[in-house]
Amino acid sequence: MSERSERISGRGLIRPIPDRDSAAWWARTARHEFVLQGCDACGTLRFPARVYCHACRSRDWSWRPVEPTGTIESWIVTHQPFTPGAATPYVVVMVRLTAAPDCVMYGNWYRDREPHPGEPVQASFTYVDEELSLINWRPGSE
Amino acid sequence: MTKRLLGFRDRAAVAGVGYTAFSKDSEVSTLTLACEAVLAALDDAGLEPGDVDGLATHRVGDSAPPSLVGPALGLRPPSWYLDQFGGGSVSHSVVGQAALAVASGVAETVVCYRAINARSEFRMGGTGRPLPASPEVQYQAPYGYVAPPQMYAMYARAHMTKYGTKAEHFGQLAVTQRANATKNPRALMRTPITLDDYLGSRWIAEPFRLLDCCLETDGACALVVTTAERARDLRRPPVLISAAAWGGGHSHLSSGSGDVTVTSAAELAPRLYGMAGAGPRDIDVAQIYDCFTYSVIVQLEDYGFCAKGEGGPYVAEGHTALGGRLPVNTHGGFLSEGYVHGINHIAEAVSQLRGDAGDRQTPGAEVALSTAQPGYVLAATSALILRKG
Repeated sequence: MSERSERISGRGLIRPIPDRDSAAWWARTARHEFVLQGCDACGTLRFPARVYCHACRSRDWSWRPVEPTGTIESWIVTHQPFTPGAATPYVVVMVRLTAAPDCVMYGNWYRDREPHPGEPVQASFTYVDEELSLINWRPGSE
Repeated sequence: MTKRLLGFRDRAAVAGVGYTAFSKDSEVSTLTLACEAVLAALDDAGLEPGDVDGLATHRVGDSAPPSLVGPALGLRPPSWYLDQFGGGSVSHSVVGQAALAVASGVAETVVCYRAINARSEFRMGGTGRPLPASPEVQYQAPYGYVAPPQMYAMYARAHMTKYGTKAEHFGQLAVTQRANATKNPRALMRTPITLDDYLGSRWIAEPFRLLDCCLETDGACALVVTTAERARDLRRPPVLISAAAWGGGHSHLSSGSGDVTVTSAAELAPRLYGMAGAGPRDIDVAQIYDCFTYSVIVQLEDYGFCAKGEGGPYVAEGHTALGGRLPVNTHGGFLSEGYVHGINHIAEAVSQLRGDAGDRQTPGAEVALSTAQPGYVLAATSALILRKG
């Protein structure tokens, strides 16, 4: 499931700065668990991590392992080096999650071809170090 | 709701407009730029610094606040001030809130300004500046997704996929606005371009090319907002603030991300038009936030000038050109005049309604729409409808 990333070795990685709501999500991602918050009162899944359920305002929630799949909502190919040490071009995808269709996640895409609109994709974990892994996306057919 | 909103309609007016020069390097501080624009706006209105009892701006940690500008110009302590956090999406709410302050009597003469060295000091494009302190950045920055052109390109691609919007549509918008800029002595870019120039410009973040992107600009602009009654006694023809609305929308990362081809403007537009007692057909000229070509196309749809998905063809058919059905960004816009984060759209709308826009004047313009960044980056948006006094 893990894949090394040429992006991470090839250009400066901007490390995420977790906040008090998100730190536990990043910790689980570092263990290669694909989880969303689920409301214990009404069942609504949510991402990014936050304390209140936006549907019923309950503060009771738990981590729910969900299917690590989605569909390509959109993508870009970046040519301008916006970050120091960026190895361009590179692809960023926006993925609509199968388990929570009103949630999107971002990630990189490392295939030789660009994604297709609506293409089914699966998450892969890119190991950076013990404290950090990133979720990236690849074709669902692989 | 309507009764209260009618009480606000046309109660405040823009009585003065001031600019600094636009450049790639102002060589002065944002405080100096702000002071210069504020004084120019007061001079345009025929007012003195001693007449000012309110200052308002917005910024993202990149500019001089009212608490510096007021003392720097020796103004009296303000009756009301606004130091709004935020970028282009709140640009029009600053003027709307000044209008509320004036209409309520809390203040009488407010100067709204925005002053930025967005090329020489704090680049809007993101290169080399610290990332904004937004909780959502942590889910984006590790992937090299950090700058507004990338985010707008992402949404533009979704629109292209869903509606068949084409590069040529974006290109025609850039070409049209450059043609407008050739008639604007203030514009930074005044050399005409062709569709081939557009298509040949280098990639920034596909599907965006260089000529899809606005100009990172050093400069400032200021507007004097006072009561409609007082504005009628001043030097220049008053331009009434018929409606001001802000809010609407969700971040597209938060739970609740629906159709990413619809902006916060779609939620805001009915409130704005309702407040003005006007609709899209009443708008004679529009200044529509053009941080990127696509942002105009999607707002033409979301403000009701064409059907959803028809923004690209609407531009390609020439409707937004000078002399077209709805002249848009008559000064050249942020793509060709310069980018002062929204306020220079309002200033151009005022000029069109005064009838002093010279070769780019829309004949007989009486009602104008001016809009802010439509909420893709930080959810909310804002907009104004202005009317010839």
